[in-house]
Amino acid sequence: MLGEFEYLLITAAAGLGDKAYGAAIREEMEVTTGRRCSIGALYTTIDRLETKGLLKTWMSDATPQRGGRAKRMVRVTSKGVQAAKNFYDAITRVSRGASWVVNRTGRAS
Amino acid sequence: MTSTHWPLVEVAARLLERDEREAVLGDLLETGEGGWRGLLDVLGLVVRRQILHWRSWRPWLAVFGLALPGSLLLMGFSVSISSIYERLVDRRILIGSPHPIHEAFFQLLCRGLLLIGGSWACGFVMGSMSRRTLWVSIASSCFPCLFCLVRFREPSLSRLCLFLFLLPAIWGVRQALRLTRLNLTFAIFLAIAITTLTILPTNSRGVWALNWTLVWPAWYIVATAQGDGRKAGQS
Repeated sequence: MLGEFEYLLITAAAGLGDKAYGAAIREEMEVTTGRRCSIGALYTTIDRLETKGLLKTWMSDATPQRGGRAKRMVRVTSKGVQAAKNFYDAITRVSRGASWVVNRTGRAS
Repeated sequence: MTSTHWPLVEVAARLLERDEREAVLGDLLETGEGGWRGLLDVLGLVVRRQILHWRSWRPWLAVFGLALPGSLLLMGFSVSISSIYERLVDRRILIGSPHPIHEAFFQLLCRGLLLIGGSWACGFVMGSMSRRTLWVSIASSCFPCLFCLVRFREPSLSRLCLFLFLLPAIWGVRQALRLTRLNLTFAIFLAIAITTLTILPTNSRGVWALNWTLVWPAWYIVATAQGDGRKAGQS
C-alpha cells in the first residue's frame, strides 16, 4: 500500500497530466497541503515509485525558461492509478464514522 | 536565486547524477528559490542519495574489505620492494648476507609483479564495486596512507617509497570507470598470477591472512567478468 506522501505525489502528477514534472508537482503539493515539500523527498519518492512501476519518468528537451535545463517529466502508470485508488478507498473506508468526518458532513454520530 | 549562492548550489549539485542535476537545477531556476534554501534542498537530496547507496553491502565491502586493509598492505609491499631494490643497488649490504644477488633479484621481480597486479586489481574493484561511493573509498584509503606517512622512520628510504602502489591503483580505478566489462581470459590469468605470487614463499613466509586482501579482488573481477553481457560493478 502507498504511503501518504506517495499518494499525494501520484495524485498531483495525475492531476497535472502531460505537464507533470518535478517543479510543477512540488508546487501543486505545496499549494494543496500547505506544507513545504523538499526536493530530496520529491525526487527520491519519484524514484521509488518508478521502481515499483507506479510512475514512468523521462527527460524532456531543455527549455530557455529554466536556463537551458531539461525537465524530468512524470506520467502515472495504470498500476499507479490503481494503487492510488486502493489507497483512497482504504482511507475512505477507515474514515467512516470518524468524528471529524461526521462533523464535516453534518451528520449526527 | 542570488548570484552569490548559485555557484555553491551548482557545486553541491555536482554530487548528483547528470540527469538529476539538470532537473534539480532547472527546477530551482524556474521557481526562483532562495539561495540558502536551494542549497539545503540540493544537499538534502545528495544526503538521501548517499544513504540509499549505503544500504547496499558493496560500499561497505569496498571501504572495510578493500580500501583500508588494501592500502596498508600495499604500502608494506611498496616499502619491502624499495628495501630489496636498495640492497641490490648497494651491493655492500649484500656482502655477508645469506641471500645471494640472484635471489634478491627474483624477490624483487615477484614482489614487483604482485604489487603492480594487486594494486591494479584493488583499484579496479574499488572503482567498479561501488562507483557512486568511490569518493568515500578513496578517502578511506587516504587515512592509512597519512598514518604511515607520519610514522615512517626508515632513514635510508624516501617517504615516497610508501606510495609505489599508487600509480597502478589509480590506473585500475580509471579502467574500472571506463570499462563496463573485462575480458574473462585476462581476468582469470590475472587472478591465477596474483594468487600464485601471493602464496610464493618469496612473498610471504606462510600465507599471512591480510595477504588475501590482494587475492579476493582478482577473483571478484573473474566473477563479474563471467556472464556475457553482464556489466561489471553496477551498484
